[in-house]
Amino acid sequence: MIEVRNLSKYYGSHRAVNNISFTVNEGEIVGFLGPNGAGKTTTLRIVTCYMPATAGSVTIAGHDVLTESMQVRAVVGYLPESVPLYPEMRVREYLQFRGRLRGLNRANRDAAVARVVERCWLRDVIDRPIGQLSKGYRQRVGLADSLLHNPKVLVLDEPTIGLDPTQIRATRSLIRELAQEHTVILSSHILPEVEATCQRLIIIHEGRLVASGTPDELRQRMTTESNLIAEFKGPESDIGASVRKLAGVADVHTVLQDGWTRVSVAAQRDLREDVFRLAVEKHWPLRELRRDIATLEDFFVKVVTGTREQRDGGEETAAERRNQ
Amino acid sequence: MRNISAIMRRELLSLFCSPIAYIVIAGFLLITGVAVLWTGSFSPGKPASLRDVFFWTPWMLTVIVPAISMRAIAEEYRSGTIESLMTAPVSELQLVLGKYFASLIFYVIMLAPTLVYVVLMEAFGNPDWGASLSSYLGLLLIGVMFTAFGLFASSLTSNQVVAWILGWVPLLLFACLAFFVVGLVQGWVRVVFQQVNVIGRFDEFSRGLVTTDGVVFFLATAALFLFLAVKVVESRRWR
Repeated sequence: MIEVRNLSKYYGSHRAVNNISFTVNEGEIVGFLGPNGAGKTTTLRIVTCYMPATAGSVTIAGHDVLTESMQVRAVVGYLPESVPLYPEMRVREYLQFRGRLRGLNRANRDAAVARVVERCWLRDVIDRPIGQLSKGYRQRVGLADSLLHNPKVLVLDEPTIGLDPTQIRATRSLIRELAQEHTVILSSHILPEVEATCQRLIIIHEGRLVASGTPDELRQRMTTESNLIAEFKGPESDIGASVRKLAGVADVHTVLQDGWTRVSVAAQRDLREDVFRLAVEKHWPLRELRRDIATLEDFFVKVVTGTREQRDGGEETAAERRNQ
Repeated sequence: MRNISAIMRRELLSLFCSPIAYIVIAGFLLITGVAVLWTGSFSPGKPASLRDVFFWTPWMLTVIVPAISMRAIAEEYRSGTIESLMTAPVSELQLVLGKYFASLIFYVIMLAPTLVYVVLMEAFGNPDWGASLSSYLGLLLIGVMFTAFGLFASSLTSNQVVAWILGWVPLLLFACLAFFVVGLVQGWVRVVFQQVNVIGRFDEFSRGLVTTDGVVFFLATAALFLFLAVKVVESRRWR
């Protein structure tokens, strides 16, 4: 449905997008993930015909974005990141205006407006000026606008940014619902966001495509190296030394906490059974034993920073991001 | 065509939602009213003509017309709505024409109340209808040209005030000062100033003289600046 080939974009001498290629098949929800300034918005703007690429090509439903721009625009619904709206217009007026631009006649327009208003829960605000609406409602007006002409392809740039948690959940389920009839490409810098909605992820960083695949595929690349946490009661140095002797152990950290020794082990394989046997053998009471499988967050952080961060640090940033 | 009318209607709605529209109309009518009193057009013994008033009107319009069109495209850039417009199936030409017709309709609405002076002339005297008619044709043509220029200025920047200044300064310099300069220079410079002398050209209309030369000048200049505005909007994509 969407085919991006060797796409590059320069702003002056600054390279925003560097030789990106990917395809999105019909009916897929693809998440476009990257830190701020990675080139997500630039790529989406090229895909939606807002600006031309410096090099490379994009085709949507068989039409080239540069030479058959109008055909592409007709099949694409786009929600820009900043959700630009006219504050002086009422929601109904705005949607009617956009419907006219989409070439819908009066009857179709009324039906389309009624449909998207229903879909995006806008009935309560339909006669209010857009300037008076909250961020959440404005976001929904933008989404409603992008759905008016029932486009084959939906391009959503940061669709849930600025929404409260309830709205985020509602928007996510709406997007999943939409994916049954539309091909969706959405961008985000928040990983749980795309993990929850998308079938496939494309991770870009500094204009380059660094990874792509389903969330499971990406997660599998990480599980080769897992982390084991155990807490024993016993002499700290003995514990450290014994655990280090187990086969397949790469790295061991021990910390003494109120009489218990907390051990974290980086290993190539699952060591839980060995650690349990060790505790039994040495008569060390064991109060915790768990294996952490890498999350996508770790993967994201790893590909973006190029280094594996400490697990605890990784969890902290994940929590922070969720709180945003 | 549908896109042009959709954009035009939306633009008119926005124009009349903003205080600028009413300030501009009120300002124009106030100044026109003052001009009527100041020129003493209704004094006893004066000819039943608004020519003295019409002499000053183009001067006011150089400042007022760019104020009508200043927000048209600049505001789309500033608020980012240009992004949703240019990703809908709308061409740059349709955008510019839609905005243009909206500004022009607004201009006509602003001009319409001044017809009351013509009616008063008729009530108190015996004005030359032909001259009044051609004067209004001249005012309309000035609007056609100035609006196109104002729209071009608006396409250059995302700041309304900058758009306004870019609109009225060149208009005042070239179109109106040419009226004074034209008598002071010789040779090809004089020919150029004669051509761009909007006041001089309008004066022909207010005397009742409708020339092909004059009509073509206003229409062609308008077409030129509309073309340039389209090119500027197109070029935004490449920067």
